[in-house]
Amino acid sequence: MTMSHAVISCLHANLAACEAVLADIDQQGIDTITCLGDLVGYGPQPNEVIELVRERSIPTCQGCWDEDIIDGLNACECSYPSQLAERRGHRAHHWAAERITEDNKVFLASLPMTLRRDRLLFVHGSPNSQHEYLLPDMSAFAALERVETAGAETLFCGHTHQPYVRELSEGSIRVSVQTNGNHSDSEQEMTLPMRRIVNAGSVGEPRHGSTKATYVVHDDDSGAVSVREVEYDVSKTCRAIVEAGLPEVFAWRLSHGFEYAERAEDASHVCER
Amino acid sequence: MERWALVSGLRGDLDLYEQIQSDLQKRRGTAHLFVLGDMIGPHPKCDALLKRLRQPKRGDLHPHCIYGWLEEQLLSLYGYRGEAKADELQLQSDDSGVQQLRQAVDTEHLNWLASLQFGLIELDCGLIHGSSADVGDELQETTSPLILLDRLTRLDVNRLFTARSGRQFRLQLTGGQIRSRVKDHASEQLHEQPVPKRSVIGVGSGANYTLYDPASDHIEFLSVASRSGASNRIKGFQR
Repeated sequence: MTMSHAVISCLHANLAACEAVLADIDQQGIDTITCLGDLVGYGPQPNEVIELVRERSIPTCQGCWDEDIIDGLNACECSYPSQLAERRGHRAHHWAAERITEDNKVFLASLPMTLRRDRLLFVHGSPNSQHEYLLPDMSAFAALERVETAGAETLFCGHTHQPYVRELSEGSIRVSVQTNGNHSDSEQEMTLPMRRIVNAGSVGEPRHGSTKATYVVHDDDSGAVSVREVEYDVSKTCRAIVEAGLPEVFAWRLSHGFEYAERAEDASHVCER
Repeated sequence: MERWALVSGLRGDLDLYEQIQSDLQKRRGTAHLFVLGDMIGPHPKCDALLKRLRQPKRGDLHPHCIYGWLEEQLLSLYGYRGEAKADELQLQSDDSGVQQLRQAVDTEHLNWLASLQFGLIELDCGLIHGSSADVGDELQETTSPLILLDRLTRLDVNRLFTARSGRQFRLQLTGGQIRSRVKDHASEQLHEQPVPKRSVIGVGSGANYTLYDPASDHIEFLSVASRSGASNRIKGFQR
């Protein structure tokens, strides 16, 4: 029997999506789950989702929304494409911060930045920051640097809400070095290792062109990764968003499943504030 | 196009700065002087150096300063950055080193130091104390080329001038490639990315500085004989 484990991310207070994904995982007989954070934000059921994760004792790392609830809004306006989008984001943050129980806040504060199992590393955004986007089209060398510097073979991340598996292979870099006092340049070549980035997509706020919740399954024996899409009652969560008084655009986006209105202009920017 | 002089790690040594200014005057055709941080240090003439940098003497090549690791530590001590302590300096130095740095810099300079930029972009070159990842990032010729390429990519420049390691070197990326296969729910894409032709240049520190000609891309590593090394004898301030 092969050992598989499921990786989920970006649950975003969407209880219906979380329950559907966990049911799908259970149905496959997978009992090892890792969560890449963002339990809250955007959605209407932050406490319910946190408590579900706690009940199931799912190892979880801290996402950017989880961090902001604990540390306060500390990212700069670079995260938002417009002042309108920023105001919406801040409104959602304050809504969640007011409703999440103290006990659940303590739990969010206790979450680690990264989780590691052998050569598998689990993060929310990147090993550098919960706010950094590892997009599928970012420089392949920069992507490899994130995995290699963190000492991992496969890096699992979320944050972009778009699932993908990226294999980086057959790499090499040639350099010529000149130093003070040494007038002849020395030539060197470095062979780069093969590494992978696996983005788990989003359970609670998919933006990959479909409304289905996504997660990934990793076969621990073969290393194979499959992206799973799960249908759930989207309209139920959309209604709850509107009834809760959250910005209606969140419900609109959930019912379309694609990026709109919230994408940072420079997604590769790492907020250092 | 006229050359740039790139200096770092003066560590409060006004005499050394005057030697470099004098050396530059002898070498004609240098139009810009960039001081890539670590201007301050536990040196008796630190205050005088800062005054000179802020108000150059007639005939001085006008310095464009950015802040470095020591400025970051001092600003942390005074609460300009984070929590009023300089953990990294404390680790590398000791209480007396931290105290001497504090005493060497008059507080009237703090606002000026805090106003300095983290780095400069000139033409297609990034000028920075450490790297875009961190002011304390010590890049040198033995640093993994993958990390060097990452630091170039983050700034999106063809040449990255760095000072933190104190080394004088030029590392050019001359070739290579990587294969990227991205599979998502809808498609699979295969892409080969070549290594861009870019360079990282270590400008040196203290008496070692660098001249750069942007027109010809020529680099010259220079040294002046340092007359004093007061700050370099104190633990945590060696470079």
